[in-house]
Amino acid sequence: MKDTRRSRMVLGVLLAAALTMITVDYRGGEDSPLRGLRGVGAAVFGPVERASAAVVRPVGNTFDAITDAPGERRRADRLQRENQRLREQLRAARLDEDRSAELRRLLGTAGMGGYTIRAAHVISAGQGFEDTVTIDVGSRSGVRADMTVLSADGLVGRVTRVGPATATVLLATDQASTVGARLEGSKEIGYMRGRGRRGLRGDGSPLRFQLLDANAPMRVGQRLVTLGSQGQRPYVPGVPIGVVERIEDAGAGLTRTAHVRPFVRFTSLDVVAVVVAPPRSDPRDAVLPPKPSPAPTPRATPSGAPRPSTKPTSGN
Amino acid sequence: MLNPPEVSGTRRNVTAAAVIAVALILQVSVANRLPLPGGVQPDLVLLAVVALALVSGSMTGMVTGFAAGLCADIIPPADHTLGRYALVYCLIGFVCGIASAEMDRQSLVPFFAVAAGALAGTVLYAGTGMILGDPRAGWDTVVGIVPLQLLYDVIASPFVVWAVLRVTRRFERGERARGDRLSLPVARYRAMSGRGGGL
Repeated sequence: MKDTRRSRMVLGVLLAAALTMITVDYRGGEDSPLRGLRGVGAAVFGPVERASAAVVRPVGNTFDAITDAPGERRRADRLQRENQRLREQLRAARLDEDRSAELRRLLGTAGMGGYTIRAAHVISAGQGFEDTVTIDVGSRSGVRADMTVLSADGLVGRVTRVGPATATVLLATDQASTVGARLEGSKEIGYMRGRGRRGLRGDGSPLRFQLLDANAPMRVGQRLVTLGSQGQRPYVPGVPIGVVERIEDAGAGLTRTAHVRPFVRFTSLDVVAVVVAPPRSDPRDAVLPPKPSPAPTPRATPSGAPRPSTKPTSGN
Repeated sequence: MLNPPEVSGTRRNVTAAAVIAVALILQVSVANRLPLPGGVQPDLVLLAVVALALVSGSMTGMVTGFAAGLCADIIPPADHTLGRYALVYCLIGFVCGIASAEMDRQSLVPFFAVAAGALAGTVLYAGTGMILGDPRAGWDTVVGIVPLQLLYDVIASPFVVWAVLRVTRRFERGERARGDRLSLPVARYRAMSGRGGGL
């Protein structure tokens, strides 16, 4: 009986400890006294995760290469054709290079977004109900909380916590995420809520856009960019988010809701970029596809130095 | 018949810690990134806690569960109220540890126990989220996720249980001439509680 009593006592102590932690952390919110503990977690597990990602990545890549061989074949063909075409274009482009440089200066949108970015790899992902990932850059690389994270296709999310060598990113699809968004063309604003990507659900789209003005026009196929936050944190303006897939019947609501298909494939996130310095002016929807990437900058190497934004002062 | 508890205790703790650490790392960097249908992934840490508890009894189960849960709460991509997994895994470890005393040596029983533990763990975790008003743990989401999570946990459980049994058995065998992998710890646990009862 002694052992049972002892184990019950231990159980009681552990449960009390867990409940205390939950209470303290819950009441503390962002400034929780337990954030030091999270810091320890990031400092201890961060490097381990980086190491394990380095081991796992080649395996995953090999696996992908095997399962996706026909696709890769097609891709190679397509790229070859594209290469050919681009080479032609390049030859043509060289001819009117001067003129184009002049035009660029005129438009003042060189490099479109003009974001200064820090490229990173996704090294791990969250479980349970949360849509979060860890990336392999941290405070040592100049990453801070509340910075925008994007990929070559569009908005990924924002940085929530930063460790020395890793950072946690809250994906735009997480149910705790809300992003201000603007419709392409009409410039109508609203906000984008994550719906989570997990579980059995009938409708696939992981994002919902709510238009603030219920009478404003919105149609299927319209694209959305970020509105930008005050002080450009956590979200910089003009990052492509997705395309309106379906519009819900207005019903009695004050706002209209649209189902949005994101440009980014969240299941296969790999190389992303953290915006360490925002653009000097709102690029609006100049960054939208068919030129999906915000400037050629996101194609920098993963450890590339942040590029100074050498953009001439823009006209707006 | 009993081993000296000091040595085996330390070695067992080291094994448990190693199992949990490996499970945690595999969870965040491999399992959570698998593009499985439904976007839900098996919870390897929970499975490892359940398996360890079944092998080593309720004391180890709950301490391991608490430690594993705390680590799962602070490991980088985690973004929920600290202590939730600690609470859930601790309870699951305790309950499965108690169940281990009841378990005979039929080899299928652990797998059912693991499934039950996985179900309880997922539901409890969702429950704590609902109590705390976590925006992610809405009813719709929970209803959509729990069945899938359970399915994946059950599919993954044989592998995890097998691995844990194998790892724990190896050091058991090192200390003692071949014993039955499950009955040995259970017998020891019983013997210890029986001896404790005499005091």
